[in-house]
Amino acid sequence: MTAALEIKGLAKTFGDKTAVDHVDLTVPQGSFYGLVGQNGAGKTTTLSMAVGLLRPDSGAAWIFGSDVWSDPGKAKQLVGVLPDGLAMPERLTGREVLTYLGLLRGLSKEVVAERVEELLSVLELDSAEKTLVIEYSTGMRKKIALATALLHAPKLLVLDEPFEAVDPVSAATIKTILRGFVAGGGSIVLSSHVMALVEQLCDHVGVIDKGRVAAAGRLDEVRGTATLEDRFVELVGSGTTATKGLSWL
Amino acid sequence: MAVAVTMARMKLAILRHSLKGDKGTMMASGGTLGLVLAAGTIYLAFLEGDWLAAALAVWMLGWIIGPVFSGGGDETLRPEFFSLMGLPPWRLAAALLVSAFVGVAPVVGLIALAGLVVAATSPVNALVAVPAMVLQLAVFVLLSKVAVALLGIALRSRAGAIGAGLLNGVVLAFLGQAWVFAVAFGQGAQIPEFVRYLPSGWGLLAVQGDYLGLAAMVVLIALLLAAWAGLLTRRAGANRPSTRGRRPMRARNGREAVVAKELRTWSRDLVRNHQLTFALAYGVFFASAPLVLGWTDMLPWAAPIFIVMAAAMTSNLYGTDGTSLWLALMTPGSSDVRGRQLAWLVTVGPVAVLVAVACTLITGGPWAVILTATAALLGGGAGLVPLISVYALVPSTDPQKRGGNPLRTSEEDGALTGLAYLAMVLVALTGAPAIAVATLYGWWGVAAGLATGALCYWGLGLLADRRLTARGPELLHLMRTGRRPESPKPSAFKLPDMPAAHRTIVMICWVLGAIPLFPQGVVAAIMVSNGQLRHSWFLATYMEPGLRWPVALGFVLLGLTMYGTGLWLPHRAKKKAAAG
Repeated sequence: MTAALEIKGLAKTFGDKTAVDHVDLTVPQGSFYGLVGQNGAGKTTTLSMAVGLLRPDSGAAWIFGSDVWSDPGKAKQLVGVLPDGLAMPERLTGREVLTYLGLLRGLSKEVVAERVEELLSVLELDSAEKTLVIEYSTGMRKKIALATALLHAPKLLVLDEPFEAVDPVSAATIKTILRGFVAGGGSIVLSSHVMALVEQLCDHVGVIDKGRVAAAGRLDEVRGTATLEDRFVELVGSGTTATKGLSWL
Repeated sequence: MAVAVTMARMKLAILRHSLKGDKGTMMASGGTLGLVLAAGTIYLAFLEGDWLAAALAVWMLGWIIGPVFSGGGDETLRPEFFSLMGLPPWRLAAALLVSAFVGVAPVVGLIALAGLVVAATSPVNALVAVPAMVLQLAVFVLLSKVAVALLGIALRSRAGAIGAGLLNGVVLAFLGQAWVFAVAFGQGAQIPEFVRYLPSGWGLLAVQGDYLGLAAMVVLIALLLAAWAGLLTRRAGANRPSTRGRRPMRARNGREAVVAKELRTWSRDLVRNHQLTFALAYGVFFASAPLVLGWTDMLPWAAPIFIVMAAAMTSNLYGTDGTSLWLALMTPGSSDVRGRQLAWLVTVGPVAVLVAVACTLITGGPWAVILTATAALLGGGAGLVPLISVYALVPSTDPQKRGGNPLRTSEEDGALTGLAYLAMVLVALTGAPAIAVATLYGWWGVAAGLATGALCYWGLGLLADRRLTARGPELLHLMRTGRRPESPKPSAFKLPDMPAAHRTIVMICWVLGAIPLFPQGVVAAIMVSNGQLRHSWFLATYMEPGLRWPVALGFVLLGLTMYGTGLWLPHRAKKKAAAG
């Protein structure tokens, strides 16, 4: 079966810093894939290159077999993306952003109106009908970004830190939506540095450290008998961080 | 005081880091230009009359309105950085004032104020000049800070944004047309008396024996500091759009959706409101100023000037929207450029046509030329604005991350100003062919204007679209990080590696070479040969008969030498690099 997302040899160097060093990853169809790593490990850079937002120095990525860089039209239709910290059309309301994007995706006006209504109500954004996106809180921004990723019924979701700064109630809503998406046959890649969250949601995991894949595969295989957190520290940590204390406290 | 010293050291550290690279070159060129102006000011102090008072008034005006056009002035240390420290507002303001003295502009300002020592009327007054210089500089810096803060507050409401745009447009047009008013009031060769009594002249009064000037400056500084402290407390938080009425989006397809999004942004983003009002006020006031002299020929040009100014103000179209470009990248084939072009045309076009018709009706013509220019420039602007913004994008701060200074849309304010000038020249050029036709063949020009306008709209838009498709990820990366991706082959426009001093010389030669070569050289020579003497600011026309030609030719030579140097230094450096 074709992988939902296949990454081969992606590499990116900024100046003399190698951000991503020949990463290979395979996200099988129907899997819920967690990408974990420290800050600056290269998660965001890898995901940006995998969906066509950052040009890699070398390597390639395929979404359901379509090359992201040579056949972007097809590949980008199949994927919904939630990038971390990028702007939206800030002077539009949530409903306007989704309507705009739906039409941009080539959906008909009626379909757009229907889906927008449902998304706004499920994500509880319909109470902020007159609020412009620039006035949204961080949690609301994550939710509207998730809505834009889901709008065109993609088969793969690529989510960069979708739970950061989201309140517990909204997080529960988002988790339900994501689980439903996978149960319906969709595939998800999400990055996070919250191990418990990845353990709770994902069935596959990839550990990125200093721009390389330190471990990847089924969750059970990667963590073995330990918890994911212990395994992660073992894989990427220098081993001494836990014993360091602060001298004045 | 400890806080102030820490802040000053912090700023010094930041400046030291930014001395490297292009920003350093920009600072060096700006500083050198400033030094030339400062030397000119000191020279004026040796002259009889109120020349120094006039020059200082110009410096003051520069401090006040300069930041408005260069992205909100010096924001190396932002008040927001210190909001968690719990400092009382006046202490924060005082400390920021001290740190505001660290930098290129204040040093240049202080050097210019050395003219006060020259102008001192006695040895005692020369001693008085030292505190007078410092106080005068503090007045300038504080006026600048208060003006920016006031404008920042104004830009939080639509009425304020429009009001500020109107005021700025009028002030800048007034400066551009100052000679009109000078002639109108019959003071072409004299400085009006009141200039001496402006706050910019108080230091001068002090060194001429009127010590009240010193006291007045101290009082003014206290007042301004209090005002600034008050304004700082109101600055917290991002600027909020005021609009609340929401019309439902009626777009039916992708392109209409882009237009709808852009039109909403034009009407809701107060910075864009300010830009357009400014362009309109500038065009109308600049063109109507000569009416004071009873000269009506310029009035119909209000619309063309407005269009060119609007294009210049909006030339960083993609940059202003920041990283929201990712949405266009994720939806290939969504005709983002075309939608933006149409929205620009819908926003600027109707107003421009209205102004063109109204102003030409008043003067009764020349219809053909004005309608031609309006059509050609509208098309040229709608084509060039997206093209310039994708080719020469200046990375900006994402709208949701901007600080309390709404004018500060980018960290690269120098580049933004440069981009605006570039857009102004290029858009004006797109109008030139059709206007030439209209001047020669009358109404045929309108057809030519429509044709070149449509061609620019279509062709330049196509180029912009292609560029966006080909280099979209690179543009997004640039906006995300503020860094240009390193390309393996250096651009033809990039200066080769050479000593900083040489880079500065090259920059100055390129930026300023045109002034001696064209207006003071070629144009002045034509005037001299036509017998047009004592003409506005063309130096050669004021000379003794035997000196007119040598002065004009000398300027031509100077201009040519500057361009020659500007070409030769990089050429030599390139050759050296190739050899090494």
